[in-house]
Amino acid sequence: MEYLLHILILIGIYVILAVSLNLIVGYSGLLSIAHASFYGVGAYVAALLALKLHSPFLANIICAIILSGLLGAIVGIPSLRIRDDYFAIATFAFQVITFSVMNNWVSFTGGPMGLPGIPRPAIFGWKITTHYDFLIVILVLCIIILWISHKIVTSPFGRVLKAVREDEIFAQAMGKNVASYKVLIFVIGAGMASVAGVMYAYYISFIDPTSFTIMESILIISIVIIGGAGNIWGSVLGAAVLVILPEALRFLGMPSSIAANMRQIIYGALLVIFMLFRPQGFIGEYTFRK
Amino acid sequence: MKPALNIKSVNKKFDGTVALDDFSLEIPQNSITGIIGPNGAGKTTLFNVITGFLPLDSGKIIYNGKNLSRMPSYKIARAGIARTFQQLRLITRMTVLDNILLSFQNQAGEYLKNTFLFPGRVKKQERKNREKANELLAFMGIEEKAGDLVEDLSYGQQKMISLACCLASGADLLLLDEPVAGINPSMIEKILMVIKKLPEAGKTFVIIEHNIEAVMRVCDRVIFMDEGKKIAEGDPESVRHDPAVIEAYLE
Amino acid sequence: MLAQVLLNGLIAGSTYALIGISFGLIYMPTRFFHFAHGVVYAAGAYGTLAAISWLNLPLSIAVLVGVGTSTVIGLTIECTVYRALRRRSASSLVFLLTSLGLYIVLQNSISLFFGDYIQSIRIGAVEEGIDILGARITPAQILIVSMSLALTVAVTILLKRTKMGRAIRAVANDAELADISGINRDKVFFRTFAIGSALAGVAGILVAFDSDFCPTMGINALMMGVVAVIIGGVGSIHGIALGALLIGMAQQFGVWKIGSQWQNAIAFVILLIFLLFRPQGFLGKKVKKVTV
Ligand SMILES: Nc1ncnc2c1ncn2[C@@H]1O[C@H](COP(=O)(O)OP(=O)(O)O)[C@@H](O)[C@H]1O
Ligand SMILES: [Mg+2]
Repeated sequence: MEYLLHILILIGIYVILAVSLNLIVGYSGLLSIAHASFYGVGAYVAALLALKLHSPFLANIICAIILSGLLGAIVGIPSLRIRDDYFAIATFAFQVITFSVMNNWVSFTGGPMGLPGIPRPAIFGWKITTHYDFLIVILVLCIIILWISHKIVTSPFGRVLKAVREDEIFAQAMGKNVASYKVLIFVIGAGMASVAGVMYAYYISFIDPTSFTIMESILIISIVIIGGAGNIWGSVLGAAVLVILPEALRFLGMPSSIAANMRQIIYGALLVIFMLFRPQGFIGEYTFRK
Repeated sequence: MKPALNIKSVNKKFDGTVALDDFSLEIPQNSITGIIGPNGAGKTTLFNVITGFLPLDSGKIIYNGKNLSRMPSYKIARAGIARTFQQLRLITRMTVLDNILLSFQNQAGEYLKNTFLFPGRVKKQERKNREKANELLAFMGIEEKAGDLVEDLSYGQQKMISLACCLASGADLLLLDEPVAGINPSMIEKILMVIKKLPEAGKTFVIIEHNIEAVMRVCDRVIFMDEGKKIAEGDPESVRHDPAVIEAYLE
Repeated sequence: MLAQVLLNGLIAGSTYALIGISFGLIYMPTRFFHFAHGVVYAAGAYGTLAAISWLNLPLSIAVLVGVGTSTVIGLTIECTVYRALRRRSASSLVFLLTSLGLYIVLQNSISLFFGDYIQSIRIGAVEEGIDILGARITPAQILIVSMSLALTVAVTILLKRTKMGRAIRAVANDAELADISGINRDKVFFRTFAIGSALAGVAGILVAFDSDFCPTMGINALMMGVVAVIIGGVGSIHGIALGALLIGMAQQFGVWKIGSQWQNAIAFVILLIFLLFRPQGFLGKKVKKVTV
């Protein structure tokens, strides 16, 4: 039972990550390979605040969202000058740099040793300790984020985002301030991703840089693409499939020594297969063609 | 009458080629001006510098008293200048209706603050815009296409939609880059009918077009351009019979 | 100390130049980020390792096996996956994503075959190094520096002087025009991938001669190569070599002044600066922009 709850919690975390990345990649057409850094920023902000200042859970979430959102703006701004794959490389650079900071600023982040002993959070006196408690909190956060995302993509704002994705020249000719949309969606996506990081840090109660690597970024992209870019429900589906699939391998009796590699191979192979044969994913609408 | 648009000695070079050579032009309010000229004359470039998609090398462009040079494109659009593109641009994987809705200005729902804090206001405006869009499509005689994806329409219909988007944007000055090139005669007829009706409604048009027949029919004035320069200017008949124009076309 | 820093910068720059040139050669006509090239590079080292330790082949033959492994993997990717994507006229973003997927699959396959731990095919002990102006350099490092110089010259000649080089440049300048003028694009890509992949294999082997390696050796090296290509300027082999040298030197000065752990960050900060302010690099032509 614990195990089942654990899987559900993980799915919840990846739903948040994938939906928030989908806003950036799937709706706005900005390929970002930096999403794990926002995830990491959320985790580190929460962990550091909880460990050093003993500040409450909700305050930490808000701090994480603000800081991550600011970083999101910094990553988003280059998209005004460089585009497509060059922009993707710029986000890659950002990802490497944030990882480098997490890994090397030892006095602050604990470096490769990470930050252990993150205390259990509490909301207005309700101590979140069991798997059940965590699942409920994550479920609520997922619903809030899905609701916000749904509102965004179905609003006139979302219509402009899609126009920016498909043809930004046309959007400009129709009076849309393309630059502000790009930066804003990065801020929003980054802020949301940090929420997943906060929850991860509290849930595992230990974080280290290896959870926020470039490979993690690629995994989140795979979820978005396999589920379907440009469809938030696709990301929910994608998160469920990509979390459950490798777990299924365990039940098929795969030794744990090769499980980690097999997991990655599955992600990678699915990414290749979908790009080749079904670039719109299960239920998406954007296929990265211009 | 004060001109709507005043282009003063504009220059634009690309690497070696001079696309606009000390080009000046005044566009009167509520007129339809045609621009003709051979390929590579700099006509499209003229539209691109007016709408801010290409920076000027030198010169000035004044619209309703506002200096447009160095203004970003989206601000120029908001100031009331809409354009179509020679290489047709629309959001082809959205419906016709969504393209029109996208083109309206001052939408409350384009600010997230309003979407979340004043959803009622956003919904109401969206409903109104929907009505306006349908009226516009009806006015142009393509209301039955509202729900179709733009990519599923014919080229002529797409040109019609891009004109509809310009109208939806509420712009007073419309720059149309070859609005009837490459489409069938009945569609040309439809588009010209729409254009002809609009100066009464306060719209001003500049139309680049190779189809002389069409230009003769709708334009009050014609400019002939070659090598970035204005060669002739006047009413359609006189430009058509201008020796310089005839010579250029015979070459 | 300064002499050693400069020398280390030269050595690091040379290793980046090796992978950078091989990547840049492929990038020139294809114009997408072939991340799987990182595995092609690692395959050189692992192919050599397998030939030595599993087949007991002498080093000289083992090196050939390594280069052959890289070439075969690179060509297989090109002929199966990339060619299929081209048939679908996929965008450069699709290529990039597919290539990331391929990288992950292949890198983890190496891990499955060889294990995640560190391997070695070093040649010569470190003490064998020689002194130049008080700085130390090992025979393997001398090999790296001289090979990167030689390859810079060789690839430049290949591009400028041979028929194939002209074909590559023609496709790089204007793929459609090249098509019209009767250049077979698939054939050009095939040859570019063959040479580029073989060069990556050579690079991987040379680096493995100098230091221990593990399955993830490719991604970092590749990214340094990518940085070198972008800051040097796409299409300019000299530019790539220069870019590689620049990051090598900057990193080694960083090692000297602020510590070795910041090497990656230094390279990528330099990359960001270039991407933002001079995306065409210092010797390259203008990159594509949205134009009306
Ligand atoms: N973005 C551009 N970059 C370089 N040259 C351009 C660009 N746009 C137009 N030109 C050149 O400027 C000249 C005028 O082009 P254009 O304005 O498109 O002519 P027209 O629309 O009258 O056919 C041509 O020689 C064309 O090649
Ligand atoms: Mg033109």
